[in-house]
Amino acid sequence: MRTEQVDVAVVGGGPAGLAAALSAKESGAEHVLLIERGERMGGILNQCIHDGFGTKLMGEAFTGPEYAQIFINRLTNTGVNVKLDTMVMDISSDRELVICSSDGLIRVKAGAIVLCTGCRERTRGAIRIPGTRPAGVFTAGVVQEYMNIRNLSVGRKVVILGSGDIGLIMARRLTLEGVEVECVAEILPYPSGLARNIVQCLEDFEIPLYLSTTVVDIHGIDRVEGITLAKIGPRGGIVRGTKRFVKCDTLLLSVGLIPENELAKKAGIKLSPVTAGPIVDDHFQTSIPGIFCGGNALQVHDLVDYASMESEKAGRSAAFFAGAGKLPSPSIKVLPGQGIRYVIPHEVSGNEPVDFSMRVKSPEADRYIVFKQGEKVIRRMRQIELAPAAMIRMRVRSDRFQRSLDSLTVEVAD
Amino acid sequence: MNEGNIVCTVCPTSCLIDAKWDEKELISIDRAQCKLAWGYISDEIFDPKRVVTTTVPTETGKNPLVSVKTAEPVPKHLVLDIMDTLAVVQAKGLVNAGDVIVADVLGTGVNIIATSNSD
Repeated sequence: MRTEQVDVAVVGGGPAGLAAALSAKESGAEHVLLIERGERMGGILNQCIHDGFGTKLMGEAFTGPEYAQIFINRLTNTGVNVKLDTMVMDISSDRELVICSSDGLIRVKAGAIVLCTGCRERTRGAIRIPGTRPAGVFTAGVVQEYMNIRNLSVGRKVVILGSGDIGLIMARRLTLEGVEVECVAEILPYPSGLARNIVQCLEDFEIPLYLSTTVVDIHGIDRVEGITLAKIGPRGGIVRGTKRFVKCDTLLLSVGLIPENELAKKAGIKLSPVTAGPIVDDHFQTSIPGIFCGGNALQVHDLVDYASMESEKAGRSAAFFAGAGKLPSPSIKVLPGQGIRYVIPHEVSGNEPVDFSMRVKSPEADRYIVFKQGEKVIRRMRQIELAPAAMIRMRVRSDRFQRSLDSLTVEVAD
Repeated sequence: MNEGNIVCTVCPTSCLIDAKWDEKELISIDRAQCKLAWGYISDEIFDPKRVVTTTVPTETGKNPLVSVKTAEPVPKHLVLDIMDTLAVVQAKGLVNAGDVIVADVLGTGVNIIATSNSD
């Protein structure tokens, strides 16, 4: 097997990988290799033809393909080596990759690696919907690819389960293409998608959203002929007498995303049971020195802007590691407190300012996000609206950290 | 005077705005986290606008479709009419992002432009 030596290898050519490769190069890494298994860069953005990308990072709303193109253009002529149609077969804890393409197998020895492998959609099997197994049950992202890239139609009458952002976006997209969207059902008592998508994708087209409602049966042998909806009570059971049949030929699932970390597992990287992504420090370094992670492989984002920003930092850290062989080690553990589902990074050194990202467990109004070390509040910010669907980002300045203490707690408080 | 809650969709923060307006104009807004909300809420009450994004088939490209959008937000009541107009449009030749696919769609003064490349 041929062997190549690089300073930084980035796995995945989506928005996270593009940002990581660019910043690694700009931070002085000489040989940067970007590996993408698909035939083009840009990842999932290529099928996200709606607009609204980039408002946080560039102050302007772009469509997905436009946002991706900005990064692809910036990457051109930087000397970053891009390998498309190339799959990473293996990865080891001493930063060796085996990659496969039409050139055959190549061993890549990397000074540092950034994993930007994105995420996968939860499927019917993952949420165990009973019923028959006809054609016509799709995940939202697959329908998005069929419609927006391949010019394929999926059905005439659709029910959407789950109010995640992609499901809402597809409700509008299907409606615009003349497909009848019967309703969106959401098992939780509140929407899983961003408020602006509820407004622009459902309310604009008078598509009903049924909360605390789910699909309890799928009917049809060859093709979906309908589904049964039912109300779900506070303890998670079906509310008696609320079952009703809805005729449709397609069921679209928008029931969550799972970070894709098969490679991380192979390398022996520690994953968080909450996010399903690696445990990282404030340099986005995983439990294995020299292997970094950013984007949806680390945590599922609602905005690509933050996936880019995070991975930019991961790429910069990787370039630094490839040069110096190490990074300052983290000494402060970050713990989610009252009302917080998770906080990233999981540990920090306290020597540099840190942009934390977090999600709350349930919707709240007019509360504070409080960072505490011992009894001392080191940062607090008022939040008018808190929702699990909206990731919260907060920066803590380096002089606020108390480096003598070994932990920091983030909580929702009055 | 009218009062209501309107979600501002200028950015993903999605502020829930308390708005007051009369027949002619917006009178006050509350709970906005930035100054862009005023213009959006005023439009949303008197002349709601949306950016339409969709696809059109290509003639020759490697990709069967290119994505397109209205270069500016257009009146919301025209969204479905614009979709009807685009239903019969095919992009000619090689298309690059930014190319005008339909000029001045439905007399709005707004162009439909490509947002991706055909190859």
